[in-house]
Amino acid sequence: MKLNFLVSTVVMLVALLPRYECRAIESQGAVQQDPGPQSDLQQQSLPFLVRLGEEYFIRLGNANSPLSTPNMSPDAPSATISRALQLHLTQRLLQGKVGNISRLVSSYASQLDDSTERGKRSEEPPISLDLTFHLLREVLEMARAEQLAQQAHSNRKMMEIFGK
Amino acid sequence: MSVTFRVPLYFFLLSLSALKGQTRYLEENEITPEGLFSLLNSELKRELSEDFIYRRPLRCLDMLATDGQFTFAADRPQLNCAAFFIGEPNEMISIAYDNVNIDCDGGDFIKVFDGWVMKGEKFPSSQDHPLPLYERYIDFCETGSVRRVVRSSQNVAMIFFRIHNAESGFSITVKKLLNPFPCNIISQTPEGSFTMVIPQQHKNCSFSIIYPVEIQIAELSLGHFNDFPVKRVVPGCAGAGDFVELLGGNGVDTSKMFPVADLCYSFSGPAQMKIGCENTVVRMVSSGKFVNRVTFQYRLLDRSELQKIKGNNVEDFCFTE
Repeated sequence: MKLNFLVSTVVMLVALLPRYECRAIESQGAVQQDPGPQSDLQQQSLPFLVRLGEEYFIRLGNANSPLSTPNMSPDAPSATISRALQLHLTQRLLQGKVGNISRLVSSYASQLDDSTERGKRSEEPPISLDLTFHLLREVLEMARAEQLAQQAHSNRKMMEIFGK
Repeated sequence: MSVTFRVPLYFFLLSLSALKGQTRYLEENEITPEGLFSLLNSELKRELSEDFIYRRPLRCLDMLATDGQFTFAADRPQLNCAAFFIGEPNEMISIAYDNVNIDCDGGDFIKVFDGWVMKGEKFPSSQDHPLPLYERYIDFCETGSVRRVVRSSQNVAMIFFRIHNAESGFSITVKKLLNPFPCNIISQTPEGSFTMVIPQQHKNCSFSIIYPVEIQIAELSLGHFNDFPVKRVVPGCAGAGDFVELLGGNGVDTSKMFPVADLCYSFSGPAQMKIGCENTVVRMVSSGKFVNRVTFQYRLLDRSELQKIKGNNVEDFCFTE
């Protein structure tokens, strides 16, 4: 009885363990693959490191594949794979090992497509902006200054008109 | 009483009771350019209409607090752009597409989001927003020809856009509409005051201040219905259908923030609290049975106060780097 249980557990683990993380990301072959037709990047879940000096990057994600939060339990295997790939990509970009980002992006896209479950609506927003609060406050203060200046200008104009 | 006499009598009594009911009407007491505009004659109006619209180019990362017409013209491919919109607490944002020249099939897009999204967190949270997440993103490429004007549900909205070709671009006109019962607000300033009212509606409303502030609650009125105050049988806030909570956190999603205080009794007279987090929220939960109202003020915490809070506080949910 116990042996049966053990065997069935081992079989299930072997069957369900994600194999994709073992795919050769390190090898030259994966990077130099032909990216194929220019697919719509909107449909894939991939991070973009926009400007390293700046404090933000925009992450694009598909509604069907949650990327950022680890607590999406229904999608756990695919979320883990996506996260692992995402972290790996970010690491490689930061180390400057990657020359042509767009080719790498396409090759990751095909891998992610295989492992992503379709037809599931997740709570994760498809498009997000990574901005620190500090930067957000700066931009907000600039917008407020612009609004006050515009209000002053508008008031002056009204005074001019109604003064005639 | 004859039948023919009863019907008019009932109608009369019904009208009387309807007139006694409490109502709230839209009141705008501010002098606005548009209000004064209507007093002018038509010639002057034509002359001025061009002058009164504020125009400027839209940047790839931008924040807009004014009404006007904003044009984005790509001089090179811009793949990751976003603009935030914010208005006064009692305003909603209306975005109209004036002139859009993008290549939807080539991967260009313009998406309006009903709220703000930052680091994967959205404001208002899914619990507090009337629409499901996928309905909060409105894609021009999918619905633009049909739906040329998009309106937000609160005083904040965002637009995400991607343009591949240098000759493409678009133009939008932003207007603010009045919201008589604002729910879900982000404050434009680190200091100010506000009164939030939820008039017998079953919903949750948040007032978010993206600064570390001291909140002073001047008055809290929960559960008043026709002037009968509700008495709580069970002490504490457990199981209360109507309450106010103060939240603190480092993201914009109120469902992921930490409750600092819960208030479920009506009171007047200031109660204050210093919250040293990146984002401070006053959130009101309303069952829908009563008219609930909270009045509060807030001011920015200076550096010395923040240092003091960090030193005294054992819990560090807001002070992690």
